[in-house]
Amino acid sequence: MESLGHLLSGFAAALSWHYLLYAFAGCTLGTLIGVLPGLGPAAGTAILIPLTFSLDPTGAIIMLCAIYYGAMYGGTITSVLINVPGEAASVVTCIDGHQMARQGRAGSALGIAAIGSFIGGTLATVALVVVAMPLASLALKFGPAEFFALMVAGLCLVVGLAGRNILAALLMTVIGLLLAMIGLDPVRGAPRFTFGMEELFDGIGFVPVVMGLFGVAELLLAAETRQARMIEAELKTWLPTRQECRDSAGAIGRGTVVGFVLGLIPGVGAIVPTFMAYVLEKRVSKTPERFGKGAIEGVASAETANNAYANAAMVPLLALGIPSSPTIAVLMGAFIINGITPGPFLFTEQPALVWTVIASFFVGNALLLILNLPLVGLWARLLKIPFSYMCCGVLIFCVIGAYGLKQSLFDVWVMLGFGIIGYLLRKLDFPIAPAILALILGPMMEKSLRTTLEISGGSFAIFLDRPVALVLLAVPVIVIGFILLKPRSLAKLRESDVE
Amino acid sequence: MRQGRLIATGAMLAFCLFALWQSLLLSLTDRLGPGPGFFPFWLAMIGAVLAVALMISTFREAADPPDTPRILPHGPGGKRWFAIVGLLAAVTVAMDFLGFRLAMLAFNAALVIALGERRWWLVALFAGMGSFGVYYVFTTWLDVILPSGRLGL
Repeated sequence: MESLGHLLSGFAAALSWHYLLYAFAGCTLGTLIGVLPGLGPAAGTAILIPLTFSLDPTGAIIMLCAIYYGAMYGGTITSVLINVPGEAASVVTCIDGHQMARQGRAGSALGIAAIGSFIGGTLATVALVVVAMPLASLALKFGPAEFFALMVAGLCLVVGLAGRNILAALLMTVIGLLLAMIGLDPVRGAPRFTFGMEELFDGIGFVPVVMGLFGVAELLLAAETRQARMIEAELKTWLPTRQECRDSAGAIGRGTVVGFVLGLIPGVGAIVPTFMAYVLEKRVSKTPERFGKGAIEGVASAETANNAYANAAMVPLLALGIPSSPTIAVLMGAFIINGITPGPFLFTEQPALVWTVIASFFVGNALLLILNLPLVGLWARLLKIPFSYMCCGVLIFCVIGAYGLKQSLFDVWVMLGFGIIGYLLRKLDFPIAPAILALILGPMMEKSLRTTLEISGGSFAIFLDRPVALVLLAVPVIVIGFILLKPRSLAKLRESDVE
Repeated sequence: MRQGRLIATGAMLAFCLFALWQSLLLSLTDRLGPGPGFFPFWLAMIGAVLAVALMISTFREAADPPDTPRILPHGPGGKRWFAIVGLLAAVTVAMDFLGFRLAMLAFNAALVIALGERRWWLVALFAGMGSFGVYYVFTTWLDVILPSGRLGL
C-alpha cells in the first residue's frame, strides 16, 4: 500500500511535461540506436550520456532508462526486416520474425513485438513495484559483510555464465577490479597507481571506458566487416490480425513470467530469457513444427521476455545496488555521475526520485508502443544510412561524452585506448561484461571488505558468523564449481538449445 | 587465435605482476586494519594465478586451423580500421590547439571521405553540421563545455 502511494506521487512527477519530453526523447533515440546494427543498448546508453549532462538527476535517469528500453525494442526492427539483430537479445526474434517478413507479414511481426514488449514491460514494472521495496527493506539490514558477499555473488554469477570461458571471465573480473583501484583509496584517501598524474586521482573514468569498450570497439569491428545492407521485406500493414493476437496471448503471458524471473538474477543477460521463452513456447505448442517457419508466437514470446527482462533487471539495481548486465552497469554509472548511489538507501533517502523513475517506466513503455506501431516504416528507412555517416556520428558523441564530463582530453585518449583493447578482446573471445561490472563495483567492494575487516580486527572468520554473507558467498562457489566440473554436459545443453 | 590469446593473457599477467609490485609499495595493513595496498595486492595475486592457469589451458588447446581469421585488421577493412583510429588520435591532439569546431570539421570531412563518400557537397554539409552545429547544440542548449583551443574558436 505504501508503494502504491509513492507510485502515485511518482506518476504526478513523471507526467509533468519536461519529464514526458525526456522519456519521449529517450525512447526515440534508444529505438534509433537499437535499429542501427552493431550498436546495442549498452553502447547506445553509453554514447548518449552526454545528452543528459545538463539535466537534473531525475530527468537524466528517466532519459537514459528510456534509451535503454528503446534500444531493446529497436533491435527487433532489423531482426525482422533484414535478419540482422540490432542487439544480442534480438537474435531469437530473427528465427520467426524474418520468416514472417518473407511471407509478407513483417507488419504483424513488428506489431506483435511492440504489443508484447508493452505488456511484458508494463507487467514487469508492476512486479518491480511490488518486489523492490520489500527487497530494499531486507537489504537495509545488511552490514558491510553481507554487501561484500552480495557483490561477490553478483560478479561470480556473471562469470559463471561465461561457460567454457570461465577462466578468461574470472581473469577479466580481476582486471576490472584492478582498474577500479586506480585513484584515491576510498577508505584512507591515499593515492594509488596514479604515478603523479592528476588526471588519475579520480580514477579511470567509467564513461570513457564504456564508450571505448562498447562504442568505439563496435565501430572498429563493423568497419572491418562492412557490408551493403538491403531491406528484403516490405511493410504492408503494421498491426497483427485479431487471430494472430489471440494466438500470441499465451506466449506473451509466459514470456513475461520467464523474462521477469530471469531478470532478477544478476548475470543472466538478455539473450537467455528470450531464448528460454522461445524454447518454452515451442515445447507447449501443439504445432511445434511451425516454429522457425514464421510462427507469431515465437516472435511474441521472445520480444515479451526481452522487455520483461529489461524492466526486471532494474530490481537488483534499485533495491540492492547490483548491476546485473553491462547496460545496467552503464545506467548505474549514470546514477553515480548524477550523485545518486543505487541501493536500499535510495528508497528511504530519495523516494521522490526513485518512484518518479519507476513511474516513468510505465510512461516509457506506453510511449514506445505509440512510437513504434505507426513509425515502423520510418525506423526501417534508417537502415539506409551509409556506414560512413553512422560511424562518424557515433564517434562525435563518443568524443563529446568522454571529454564533456571532466573537460579532459586525457579521457578521450582513455576512450580510444579502451576502444582498441575492446576490439582485440572481442576478436580473441574474452568476455567484456565481467570487467565492466567489476570496474563499477570495485570501489564499493573494497570499502565493504575493509570495513568488515576493521570491525572484526582483521579476521575473515566474521563471514562464518554472518549466515546471510556465508550463503551469498557459497552461491558463486557452487555455481563456478558446478560449471568447472560439468563443462561437457553444459556444452551439450547449449548445443541442443541452439538446434 | 590461440597465439593471440596467449599474447593477450601474457599481457594481462604482466599487468597483474606490475600491480602486485606497485601494491607492495603501499601499506598492506595499518593500525585500523587493512591498508591501501591490501585489496589490490590480493587481487593482483589472484589475477596472476588465473593468468598462468589460462595460459596453460590455452597452450594445451589444439593449434589453429589454417583458415582461422586474423586478429589484426587487414585488407580494405583494415584501411577503414586504421582511418578511424588514426583520425580519432589526430582529432584528440588537434582539439587542444584548434578547438572542437575546427578539429571536428576536419575530422568529419576526412573520416567520411576515408570511409568512401565522394560527393563533396554532402561531405561539406555533414562536416559543418557535425562540428559547428553540434558545438552550438551542446554548448548552448545542453550546457556542455567543449574545448575552444588556443585560437579561441
